[in-house]
Amino acid sequence: MHKFNIDFMGNRRIMFGISLTLIAISIAALAFRGLQFGVEFKGGTVINVANAKGVSQAEMANAVAAAGIKDASVQTAVVNGQTGFIIRTSVTDPATANGDAQKAAAELNKTTVRIPAGDFQVTTIGPGWGKSVTNAALIALAVSLLAILLYVSIRFEYKMSVTAILALVHDILITLGIYALIGYEVTPNTVAALLAVLGYSLYDTIVVFHRIKENSQGLVKQSFMSMANESINQVLVRSINTSLTSLIPVVVLLIFGGPTLKDYALALTIGLISGAYSSIGVAAPIYAMWKEREPKYAALAKKFAKA
Amino acid sequence: MDPKQRNYLLLALCAILVIGSWVMFFPPAKKITQGLDIRGGLSVILTAKPRAEQQLSSDDMDRAVLIINNRVNKLGASETSVQKQGSDSILVQIPGIKNAQEALNVLQSTGQLEFVEVSTITDTATVAAIESAQQNVQLKPGTYKPFMTGDVVTNASVAQDPQSGKIVVNATMNPAGTKTWAAVTTRLFPTHAQVAIVLDGVVKSAPQVQDAILDGRTQISGNFTAQEAKDLATVLQTGALPVSLAPVDTRVVGPTLGQQSLQQGVLAALIGLAIVAIYLVAFYRGLGLISVVGLIVFGSLFLGLLATLSAFGLFALSLPGIAGIVLTIGLAADSSILINERFREEIGLGKTIRSAAASGTRHAIGTSVDADLVTFVSALALFVIAIGPVKGFALTLMLGIFCDIVMMLIFSRPLIILMAESVFPKAPAFWGIPREVSVTGSVAGKKGGAVSA
Repeated sequence: MHKFNIDFMGNRRIMFGISLTLIAISIAALAFRGLQFGVEFKGGTVINVANAKGVSQAEMANAVAAAGIKDASVQTAVVNGQTGFIIRTSVTDPATANGDAQKAAAELNKTTVRIPAGDFQVTTIGPGWGKSVTNAALIALAVSLLAILLYVSIRFEYKMSVTAILALVHDILITLGIYALIGYEVTPNTVAALLAVLGYSLYDTIVVFHRIKENSQGLVKQSFMSMANESINQVLVRSINTSLTSLIPVVVLLIFGGPTLKDYALALTIGLISGAYSSIGVAAPIYAMWKEREPKYAALAKKFAKA
Repeated sequence: MDPKQRNYLLLALCAILVIGSWVMFFPPAKKITQGLDIRGGLSVILTAKPRAEQQLSSDDMDRAVLIINNRVNKLGASETSVQKQGSDSILVQIPGIKNAQEALNVLQSTGQLEFVEVSTITDTATVAAIESAQQNVQLKPGTYKPFMTGDVVTNASVAQDPQSGKIVVNATMNPAGTKTWAAVTTRLFPTHAQVAIVLDGVVKSAPQVQDAILDGRTQISGNFTAQEAKDLATVLQTGALPVSLAPVDTRVVGPTLGQQSLQQGVLAALIGLAIVAIYLVAFYRGLGLISVVGLIVFGSLFLGLLATLSAFGLFALSLPGIAGIVLTIGLAADSSILINERFREEIGLGKTIRSAAASGTRHAIGTSVDADLVTFVSALALFVIAIGPVKGFALTLMLGIFCDIVMMLIFSRPLIILMAESVFPKAPAFWGIPREVSVTGSVAGKKGGAVSA
């Protein structure tokens, strides 16, 4: 049997300190560095070139310039384990963008074939579309937070749902903060992954709450706080194991996945780690503190208060 | 039916479903439809804006979808799909990208053809431009009134004018159009007045009427390239769009790029699965082994479901979809861990193996379903509200959650309860049970501690 008896609640100030520091860093990163938004939010074109073995960045940039593509940025990238390029332009007309890609490839292949014909991906987003995408993302976020709030309120109680949401906001802020810090592009895929991970990290929080609820019935022999601490310890092995088993496939995807898959994997990885932590470090202690203010539990707390 | 029989029946059902799934999905590369981001092709979301001051009606959208569908079919690609998305968007998917450029031109063109008497155009500068044989004169809205529109065109074909050698489009009209065309040409030919043939507000040609045309045929010349003429013929045959469509999200994917991404995704999923399996067995031994078989059952059911949906044309696996599948591997492992932990914990509280198996699985599944439902709610919100490729992620996530719950109910729970009777007691240590715990009787020194509901 794996039994733990860690005093999470006694050390809650340390955990709050860690969380607040991370949130402060995240907010600072968001304020000063800002987020890099993907083409889906801004409009424009992204050309992904794969299998460009042996083509240098300068050669690619020259080909792009020779093809007459204006204000293009050429970035080397490993696409699916192969040397590749990501070319960003401000073109919003798909026919033009595809013509540009063909022309650039033709320029590069003028003397010898360097990249296989048509072996690229061209994504073109029209002007104004970003607004719809952003709105849809925000609405989806709001709706799922509301639905979660409602579900947890009905199934458990509103104090649990409010603290669960606090933990989720904590996770979102930290994930976005890390994106701002490392300058990784935020795409609709990121938002989708983040939304999913919200629901998922609630998983942990709910399991802890579930146990606290079970143990709180007929509570007389100890304070709510120490019962909550015991509850966390009871589900700790499960928490660690489930977090690890969810994290493993996602991290493997982060290592092996191509461009789109990496988008998901990074947000999922950060979200899962932060979510596992916030269930124990944020949601449970805040909930317990809140409950201790109820007269019934305040009396218990007084009775069992350490001298 | 006694509980034992019911559990055997559930396991039999599970076996049938797993075998059925394998029949459905094997080989997966053929049985599970691949999305365009994987097999390569053109995928474009077109968003409609109503013309002039009209409101965008759902009738207009349905008509636009029909017309776009006709146009896509005329492109000659197979397995194309045209779907309405939301209230104002159309998703068009065409496998293969050979003709991406052509397809984009044809899809975007409104295709509003108008016949206008040049003498009735009120803007004198425009008239002067047309009369001096300028190319592609743009008509200002409100300065002209067509006497006939492209609706009358029943057939259109590309030809070469024998005299000029130019590429032209020959159009044939319906009876009403034939009648109007005859009346106008009869009236105009004595003065050799000009008729402007206008496409989407641009004068394509403005021939002088040389003769009365009574058979409903007309030739549209302009300085067309062969491709432009072909596109125009397609657009004329399929009719004008009641709305103007703008491509807002266009993805053209090369053929090998997507396949590589798929391989990476599958590789990642398999490695992830393998590590999780090793971890489960190392940590839970016997129970871990059951969990691993559970994961295999889950995977089989999941792939079977995807293949079945593919067979009905309801599913295509995209890259975001793969991300969803990878996430659900973790979900399925989670529910097994919940069951294992709860079982061990109830044993630890002094329950008998039998009652720990029954109540442990019941409690753990309860918790799991709660947690699953919350993730499901997020996925559903995403699926309904979000636009574009992320829908694929939400869909596989929801399907995975469904398979997870099914796996727990028809595999994990009945198997653990049945094994608790006869198998667990034979090698208690392997199944994570202290030696002194009995199958049914109570344990000396450890009074049945209560795990509340």
